[in-house]
Amino acid sequence: MRRFFTRNAPGYLFLSPWLIGFFLLTLGPILASLYFSFTRYDMVSAPRWIGWDNYVYMFTRDRRFWKALNVTFSYVALAVPARLAMALCVAMLLDKGLRTIGLYRAIFYLPSLLGSSIAIAILWRQLFAGDGAVNAVLSFFGIQGPSWITDPQTSLYTLVVLAMWQFGSPMLIFLAGLRSIPRDLYEAAEIDGTSRWRQFTRITLPLLAPVIFFNLVLQTIEAFKTFSSAFIISHGNGAPADSLLFYTVYLFNEAFSFFRMGYASALAWVLLVIIATFTGIAFLSSKYWVHYENERD
Amino acid sequence: MTKLTRRTLLGTMGAAAAASVVSTIPAMAAERTIRHFWWGNPERDKRTFAAIDLFQKHHAGIKVSGETIGWKDYWTKMATQTAGRNMADLIQMDYRYLFEYVHRGALKPLDEYIGKSLMVGDFDPGPLAGGKVDGKLYGLNIGSNSQVLVYNTKVFADAGITADVINWTREDFPKICEKITSATGGKMKGSDDLSTSVDIMQVWVRQNGREFYDADGKVTATAADIESFWQYWAEMRKAGIIAGKDRTVVINPPLGESGIVTGGTAISQFWSNQIVGIQALMKDRIGAAMFPHKKGGPYGQYIKPAMFMSLTRDVKDVDAAIAYMNDWVNDPETTKALGLERGIPCSPKAREALKPSLSDTEKDAVAFFDAIQTRVGQLPLPEPKGAGEVYELFTRSASEVVLDKIKPAEAAGRFIEDAQDIIDRAR
Repeated sequence: MRRFFTRNAPGYLFLSPWLIGFFLLTLGPILASLYFSFTRYDMVSAPRWIGWDNYVYMFTRDRRFWKALNVTFSYVALAVPARLAMALCVAMLLDKGLRTIGLYRAIFYLPSLLGSSIAIAILWRQLFAGDGAVNAVLSFFGIQGPSWITDPQTSLYTLVVLAMWQFGSPMLIFLAGLRSIPRDLYEAAEIDGTSRWRQFTRITLPLLAPVIFFNLVLQTIEAFKTFSSAFIISHGNGAPADSLLFYTVYLFNEAFSFFRMGYASALAWVLLVIIATFTGIAFLSSKYWVHYENERD
Repeated sequence: MTKLTRRTLLGTMGAAAAASVVSTIPAMAAERTIRHFWWGNPERDKRTFAAIDLFQKHHAGIKVSGETIGWKDYWTKMATQTAGRNMADLIQMDYRYLFEYVHRGALKPLDEYIGKSLMVGDFDPGPLAGGKVDGKLYGLNIGSNSQVLVYNTKVFADAGITADVINWTREDFPKICEKITSATGGKMKGSDDLSTSVDIMQVWVRQNGREFYDADGKVTATAADIESFWQYWAEMRKAGIIAGKDRTVVINPPLGESGIVTGGTAISQFWSNQIVGIQALMKDRIGAAMFPHKKGGPYGQYIKPAMFMSLTRDVKDVDAAIAYMNDWVNDPETTKALGLERGIPCSPKAREALKPSLSDTEKDAVAFFDAIQTRVGQLPLPEPKGAGEVYELFTRSASEVVLDKIKPAEAAGRFIEDAQDIIDRAR
């Protein structure tokens, strides 16, 4: 007992903020939402058990659910590769051993820190509005741009561009990955007269695979969870014409606009399953394309 | 050892948890406080805080904490607070949401205070009764209003338009929009595109002689009503005499982004109590018009309680809250500070006291209110649960029509079906 106190108690004490937060604010609500997903719950009167009804309704009758899935999948399919490509490009540019590298890293990382903020989303809405800055620049070149945000054909792309712009955190990880590739490989390739592109595809990409994999998984999860930017830019309801009806925005509306907390909880659990499935697929596929340097064949 | 370890672990955790809980309990307030939460705009907030100051001056020892936010976020925040059992003592309520909140058990009836600490004896009975649900008073009427088209008088005069904006018809409206558009060389369109406006759609349906819902919550508006409504605006949109589609599909923009305020159009739609707030944002003088009616038919508009003040289930200090409520509708200084910004008060005394101090805009609002008295129809029945979602469905469907993603006829048929579906599901 005495030994426990002297040895472990300080550890738990320091952990306690996290532990309390985890049990009270994370695990508790997660379990509660699982229960709510089987109920009809309007947040004011007590929840009523309805079995699988929420899930059945979702898959058989709810057109907006499918619309939300469609929007979210399109976004993930576009935004994740775009952001990763952007991050890798910038990382490779920064990997040239510049003296002011720290400064550039900070500058390029800045958008990701700002990216999830409300102010940026509002700024984005202004930029891509019919009379916004983007069209002002385009009109300088004689192009009459559409109203990007309020045109359902283009609204999603404005968010993809926003996602691309927030490449900072995968970029930092790529940069670290690039640093760990042994220089002598490139030197050997150089001596053999290998082209830059071949060096990239034969040395950089394979050796970076674990890092790419890590970023891919993280960014995919992140993209599925996109909320605040979509919420702000779509005025909170997926407008125009549901073209920005992200899954999370739909979930939020079901819960807080239409008082269907039970249904919203069910939506949340389906999202969890979707994300888990995608992560699972990524892990299963990884053994075919991700090789670790220290592994023996 | 393991047993001991676990127990000590739990003990440590428990102690830590207790410590963290204790530290979050706020110092017990010695004075009485009430929380009042309303949706507002800059003008309303200014007036409301003035009313709060007056109350605090008259009732030493009671502190009122005012909380305000825009209309759309208001209901989100309200839903969250309701779920968290953390509602303000007094909240502003809307006719559209009153029944939902009462049926969910979130509000307290006011009947037991009436005649004792809440004096409403001389109030107009009609508007007062608008706050009743199942025979009990849950919302104290703090102003009545009606649908209004606000127009820019300077633009109208410049374009040489002399139409009678109370008695104009559906046929007159496009002609006037055309005149404005051509008089300004297309720089300003005649009107906002109101095809996404639920309020105007409802007026349209009533002009056709139907209500949107019947007493059992069945949707009685027909697909033909909705189709003709969307068609009406589609034609004007095609003619280029109303706001473009990119302006229209922005749902629930703040007052400052409406066509009349930005100068994009000469006509926008609001509720009559908003006239004061709109004028505060504009240089040109504005005027108030009814929605054009169907020749020979009813006008479709109605006068409804613009806002209520309601006592919530989570109220802490009922006496203080009721005293505050009572001052709001009866104290001459307070009613004067509030003016007509929330609508026309239903206390004749308050109205009389306001008269000498009315601004020009407020006089216009009163004149408009007087002019429509004989033309408005009955207040529609309370709406069924789920009505709020039907509103959203309507704006969404309407914007799909505006964006040409679907033809009015098809969209209208689907809208009526889906609307009934939502109501049935909410039962």
